[in-house]
Amino acid sequence: MTRAIVLNPNDNVATLIDDAAAGAEAELTGEGSGTITILADIPYGHKCAVVALKSGTDILKYGQVIGRATADIAVGDHVHIHNVEALRARGDR
Amino acid sequence: MNFLGYERPDGQVGLRNYVGVVSVMDNCNSVTRAVAAAVQGTVPVTTLFVRGQLGRDLEIAYDTLAGLARNPNLAGIVLIGLEPVTSEEVAQRIRPCGKPLEVVNIQLVGGTIEATARATRHAARMVREASRQRRTSQPLSKLTVGVECGGSDTTSGLASNPSIGVVADHIVEGGGKVVISETSEFFGAEHVFAERAVSEEVGRQFLDSVLGFEKEVMARGLDLRGANPSKDNIRGGLTTIEEKALGAMAKAGTSPLVGVLDYGRAPREPGLHFMATPAPAVESLTGLAAGGCQLILFSTGVGNPIGSMVATTVKVSGNRNTVANFSDNIDFDVSPVIESGEPLREAGDRLLGFALEVASGALTTSEVLNVRETAISRFEPSM
Repeated sequence: MTRAIVLNPNDNVATLIDDAAAGAEAELTGEGSGTITILADIPYGHKCAVVALKSGTDILKYGQVIGRATADIAVGDHVHIHNVEALRARGDR
Repeated sequence: MNFLGYERPDGQVGLRNYVGVVSVMDNCNSVTRAVAAAVQGTVPVTTLFVRGQLGRDLEIAYDTLAGLARNPNLAGIVLIGLEPVTSEEVAQRIRPCGKPLEVVNIQLVGGTIEATARATRHAARMVREASRQRRTSQPLSKLTVGVECGGSDTTSGLASNPSIGVVADHIVEGGGKVVISETSEFFGAEHVFAERAVSEEVGRQFLDSVLGFEKEVMARGLDLRGANPSKDNIRGGLTTIEEKALGAMAKAGTSPLVGVLDYGRAPREPGLHFMATPAPAVESLTGLAAGGCQLILFSTGVGNPIGSMVATTVKVSGNRNTVANFSDNIDFDVSPVIESGEPLREAGDRLLGFALEVASGALTTSEVLNVRETAISRFEPSM
């Protein structure tokens, strides 16, 4: 089964350590447990949501803020630059 | 825990016994490369610019070139300059280390052919002289280790960076020095790292350095997302600079932050230091080597092959795909941390053992393949 590591109990994303196809079941390891259904094709090393995230929600990994959701993200969906933005060193706004 | 190294006149210890052929400025590089190609046991330390630089940039260039020359991995130095005044600026910064130094000025000896001939003779004699020296047993307190990452991905934060962090803690416990760099790669992690500062003043210096640099980015209207995380970081799953920074910080282990250093400056006291450098690896490695790091532990996820010309560089990866498909450029595999749950403490201890073998003479991929480069950071225009 696809494995997804949760690094901190407060995190709302997990890091996949196997490639996953849409529809695959992923086993949460580390600080997470149980399984979730992956909703997109997600490559090795990329992240998926472990709770439903509203647009504007802080993304938490290592128990710290790593960015903010720019769209609603469902449990098991791919979390990456298409739906998360960095908040730091943004001289463009 | 000890390693075998070459003791230098100033008490520092080299892990290698190269003679450095060092350019004073851009127009000297052809001679530098020709001499290094002609004489076994030398390394070329080239540079772009210097001529036409001024102010703070020129000081950084002189100090960094001299710092690279003073690095104990070099047994002696042949300095290749164009004219004597600028060469002397660099030479006077090298002399206090007490190592053999010869200076050849291309204008004074009659051009590149004559300069190459004279410098080749100096280098050949110096290498033969250096080869008579033997390694002796040295304690961890004689090590200055740079911790670096490049071509990062999410496995860097999971495996390779924290494994390097375990080594960093061992080095600090043994009385050695560890230097972490790359200012922009603390954006989003600086509040966590600053808590480790040994004093309020060091914490403030660190935050001033990181937040001051971010202010500069903002003031120029730049969006860091165009550069960092890089395209390959993103392919490797890193989404934001904050995520990258929180993973990168793990390279520094858990010891207190005792000092904050400008680009290329040497740490004076034992313990963990931060050096303000740009994030691109070659500039950062050059700053670390100029600051006296003999060894650099370089974590990579999706694969970055580069090493320092002067500081022996160990490439460490925890990405099973990179370890399998980029193996020509990987020295050490910590992928069992992710694949089979190897405890980080054990992976770090394995890495420490390997790092001490390398310190004692085992060669790394960037050394044997000569994947090595030098780039001194510049912050101002030339005039």
